[in-house]
Amino acid sequence: MRDYPLENRSAFPPLVAAGAGASINLAPVTGGFVIHVLGDAKSDEAALSTAIKTIAPDLGTDLRKSAPNQWFWVGDADVSSDRLAEIQAGLVNQFALADQTHGRVRMRLSGVSSRTVLAKGTMVDLSADVFAMGQSAMTQIGHIGAMITRIEDDSFELIVLRSFAGSLWDELHHMAAEFR
Amino acid sequence: MSSLVKCPHCGLRPREEFTIRGEVATPRPNAGADEAVWFDHVYLRDNPRGEHSEYWHHSGGCRRWLVLTRDTVTHETSDVVDASTLKLGEGA
Amino acid sequence: MTSFRIDGGTLIDRNDVRRFTFNGEALTGFGGDTVASGLLANGKQLVGRSFKYHRPRGILTAGAAEPNALLTIGRDGRRDPNTRATMAELFDGLEARSQNCWPNVNFDIGAANGLLGPLLGAGFYYKTFMWPAAFWEKVYEPLIRKAAGLGRASYDPDPGYYEKCWAHCDLLVIGAGPAGLAAALTAGRAGARVIIADEGAQLGGGLIAEGSPVGGKPADTVLADIIGELHALPNVEIKKRTTVFAAYDDQVFGAVERVQKHLPEHEINPHRAMERLWRIVARQVVLATGAEERPIVFGGNDRPGVMMAGAMRTYLNGYGVAPGKRVALFANNSQAYQTAMDLEARGIEVAAIIDPRTCPNIDYDGKARLIAGAMVRDTAGRKAIKSITVRHDDGRDEVIAVDALGVSGGYSPIVHLACHRVGKPVWSDAHVGFMPPENTDGMTPCGAVAGKAGIAACFADGGVAAVKALAELGVMGEAASLPGVEQSEEKVDPIQPIWHVASSKGKAFVDFQNDVAASDITLAMREGYDHVELAKRYTTNGMATDQGKTSNVNAIGILAENKGVSPGEIGTTTFRPFYTPVSFGALVGASKGMDFQPVRKSPLHGWAERNGAKFVETGLWYRSSWFPKDGETFWRDSVDREVNAVRTKVGICDVSTLGKIEIFGADAAEFLNRVYCNAFLKLPVGKARYGIMLREDGFVYDDGTTSCLGENHYFMTTTTALAAGVLTHLEFCAQVLWPELDVRLASATDQWAQMAIAGPKSRDVLSKIIDDDISNEAFPFLAAREVSMFGGRLKGRLFRISFSGELAFEIAVPAGYGESVADAIMAAGEEFGITPYGTEALGVMRIEKGHVTHAEINGTVTPADLGMGKMVSAKKDDFIGRVMNLREGLVDPDRPSLVGIKPKSPSDKFATGSHILNPGDDVSLANDQGYVTSMCHSPTLGHAIGLALVKNGPSRVGEEVTIWNGLAGKTVTGILCNPAFVDPENEKLHA
Repeated sequence: MRDYPLENRSAFPPLVAAGAGASINLAPVTGGFVIHVLGDAKSDEAALSTAIKTIAPDLGTDLRKSAPNQWFWVGDADVSSDRLAEIQAGLVNQFALADQTHGRVRMRLSGVSSRTVLAKGTMVDLSADVFAMGQSAMTQIGHIGAMITRIEDDSFELIVLRSFAGSLWDELHHMAAEFR
Repeated sequence: MSSLVKCPHCGLRPREEFTIRGEVATPRPNAGADEAVWFDHVYLRDNPRGEHSEYWHHSGGCRRWLVLTRDTVTHETSDVVDASTLKLGEGA
Repeated sequence: MTSFRIDGGTLIDRNDVRRFTFNGEALTGFGGDTVASGLLANGKQLVGRSFKYHRPRGILTAGAAEPNALLTIGRDGRRDPNTRATMAELFDGLEARSQNCWPNVNFDIGAANGLLGPLLGAGFYYKTFMWPAAFWEKVYEPLIRKAAGLGRASYDPDPGYYEKCWAHCDLLVIGAGPAGLAAALTAGRAGARVIIADEGAQLGGGLIAEGSPVGGKPADTVLADIIGELHALPNVEIKKRTTVFAAYDDQVFGAVERVQKHLPEHEINPHRAMERLWRIVARQVVLATGAEERPIVFGGNDRPGVMMAGAMRTYLNGYGVAPGKRVALFANNSQAYQTAMDLEARGIEVAAIIDPRTCPNIDYDGKARLIAGAMVRDTAGRKAIKSITVRHDDGRDEVIAVDALGVSGGYSPIVHLACHRVGKPVWSDAHVGFMPPENTDGMTPCGAVAGKAGIAACFADGGVAAVKALAELGVMGEAASLPGVEQSEEKVDPIQPIWHVASSKGKAFVDFQNDVAASDITLAMREGYDHVELAKRYTTNGMATDQGKTSNVNAIGILAENKGVSPGEIGTTTFRPFYTPVSFGALVGASKGMDFQPVRKSPLHGWAERNGAKFVETGLWYRSSWFPKDGETFWRDSVDREVNAVRTKVGICDVSTLGKIEIFGADAAEFLNRVYCNAFLKLPVGKARYGIMLREDGFVYDDGTTSCLGENHYFMTTTTALAAGVLTHLEFCAQVLWPELDVRLASATDQWAQMAIAGPKSRDVLSKIIDDDISNEAFPFLAAREVSMFGGRLKGRLFRISFSGELAFEIAVPAGYGESVADAIMAAGEEFGITPYGTEALGVMRIEKGHVTHAEINGTVTPADLGMGKMVSAKKDDFIGRVMNLREGLVDPDRPSLVGIKPKSPSDKFATGSHILNPGDDVSLANDQGYVTSMCHSPTLGHAIGLALVKNGPSRVGEEVTIWNGLAGKTVTGILCNPAFVDPENEKLHA
């Protein structure tokens, strides 16, 4: 049994990547990591950023603030549990790391209609002059909690709990249908 | 009641993102306090006409507990703060 | 049939012929028509029957306030009852039907109710159907429902898609008449984010029907120029067919956009919403909702052919529809004279203008005969008006033959949205109407709603309002200069209020839709219901689907007149959302059918499906509840087999849905010690502990295990049901009660696929895939730590805990690998006969073992009631629930406490919820000894078993009791016993 094949399965239904359209595109993000960083009451983002630049320079510093003293640290590399333990050892107690790579999955919604589609779910005003590039918001899309991050002009990345991923995917599909 | 709440951490958000726990009760008594004090803390709540402070949890956002002060007559929200700041403020 | 379509009509396209049917009759109209204009063009004045008396009714208005012309439009799932013909756009193939008439609109048996009029007056509901009470259900209600009621909803599901949206703007302009357009243009030019919404299919409001030039330019040219500029401004969003129906707190406005309701079925895009419910967050609002023309209450004022004077003008100028061949007007204000001029300009004879003012100061040089100081007191004609009776100021009556009568009793500003929050409208004698409240924070009324009259005055006022609203936002704006604005002057039309024509002959209607006559209101007053809110409910005035848009002010006026006070002293009833009816489809949005709520799926969902699981919804989760095999037809066949497999061999169960919380921080141990009632301070690394959380009132909240995975790092599991609740509770404790503690909480439920491997062979199975030593010595009961799996290819968290009572482990692996690991465990367990089991078998086994769940933890039990009183720490200074748990009532030894129960005769069965009595006792609350909380068939023991909360239960083991099932009327003799039916000494657990 030691060599039983192990597969890291996607939380999204199979064959869903076909969403390309003129003004809207929805695609899962596969691979990478999502690490929930929990700081103590005195922690700040600059200190965290500096620390991870030193400890894990290859993983980037894409930190998306989810709450006071809490961030989702997101990147496209694969991070093993041993690597995570090493990083945690370097950060000592000020920042605790909880791996959410499997618990929170990512998808991208892009195209000129992306804001219109998201407005069907969230109250957060995502217009370009209000919601800056790189800005994140923990919010609800319909009844499902999600973090929205603006990653390009008309492109947003969504982070959602794995168990809700299928439902959110379906809902976004419905919401985007008129633009395809 | 408030349609939008200005979460001190997340900005303006709709009421649906929040869970309301009810009036900010008396501070949690210490274990040696009178049963009457505990009874008040656990059970007794006011239902005022006018200014009213409540615990609101931003369950659909940052998951912080907030204290929201609103007027039950005019529906105006006068203040929203992170609940932890109140406790720390009183130096308990 | 005569056609009433004449030349002109700015709204219609005569090249676009549209066929439609009305009560089955084929008719034609044009693109741009409403159903109402289409019907009027075809000479269809009679469109429905009234609610109570089944009187013939025609089209009264040309807009949202229409009380009479409610039709059922469409068929099957797309059938919309109670649709206002004045708002429904005509599309090719539209089917419209009258409502509230039988057998048809022309011959309605219910019209006999008209003869019963005296019996159906104000309060008749209260008087007639009082006695005997038993008659209500069988006689009165079916009778009323058959006779009254409006359209019928379809039984077919609506195939259309509906959705909800948020929108944001600096300035929301409500209404796109002259004032609203000027406001939007002003703010748009200043660069503000503007949304302008109008309920109509076309922007323009009063400009649409304006027959006269505006500032020297044709009105339609002026309108086209404004719309063109608005479209060109990227910061202005135009929402047509969008009714702003509610003003909510914090400047949130509800609106419904009818996106595709005006399209024939073959043009409907199934992927686009039929209707869209908007919530608009506006920093400032300009209210430009206009004013509603008021009817006059006179005898026979409900006869088809009687129409609002302004509506006549709209049909004439907008739709090219003549209201009749020979028209009279009855009006107390000057605006109605515009209608007379426009009618005459189109060659329609205006027989007379009846003006109750003795010396009306008006600008009219038409041909019509002006009868000043007079009133219309009656009308004649069966299904359409034939003549009117005019009472002259000298008391003389004159009958004038007409086929249409335009009426105008003044204007009621549409103040609803200004009053939805707290404001009450304010009476103005000058305007003879209720004006918006003075303190409308963040909202600026302008145009007709603010009492302005005339296109130019509204243009000017809209610009000023927008400048004021922009200033609140710190934006400088300049009022848009529009045609005629320079010459416009403020003038208030002297209106003589008439609330009721005293000399009326026959019924004079106030509320057309609810058939409330002036006499009903005076009757209500005589009977003491003279407060405006009481009069409304007693007479039902203003309670119909139109919410009294055309009737409320007249009713208030009649009350005021009779009491000899100003209408301002009577005041209005309370304005509440919705301004006009909103369909259920829009309110429901996409949340219907399978999309009613989100679905949560376990990372092992696919594995369970492949193994044939039947799923059960628990909250949002789909959990595998049993796994039927070929030949098993009854769920218990499968469950019994699964239980036996676990008890004798090994089984695997998906427990991923349990709540999981990572707890970090220097004070994590202290925190756990305060939230659990048992001790947690000294839990060593690598160990799990069962914990009970109390509520602050001393009762049990939830149970679960918490493991110490490292210094300052704990992993808590909760029940599936309370996963969110426990996290929220812990957050409250950490943030509100003890913010000084360094404790940090992260939900980890979704990160892990977790499965229970239970049964005597469980260690053998897991040893094949786990690299570490998991022997009883190396990994004893309650061990918990990270393990290496599959030759170091995967790390998981292993816990030696058991819900079933067997030797058991729970293994958690990163969710993406869950299915592979479950498959691997199945393969590894094949030689041992591994069996997947679901929540049903899990439930059976926990009852057999006497483990509690939320069937027992039902909010009324203490740890002692569950036999776990000794767990409650006496040493800890404080923890949640410590003090209240010691209250007198909570330590009473007679409290219902957990005990097992089984039937005396093994073949007997009993039900959960049954009450326990002492043998021979009568069934009474006083004799009640407790109740069964859980029961199941135990395949291990071969008979029914249960858990119960029984007074002093544990000390009564062995006692015979009566199990009483009052619902089924059955009693069974039972025996109280130890709740641990299986392995009471815990030998299996520690194997």
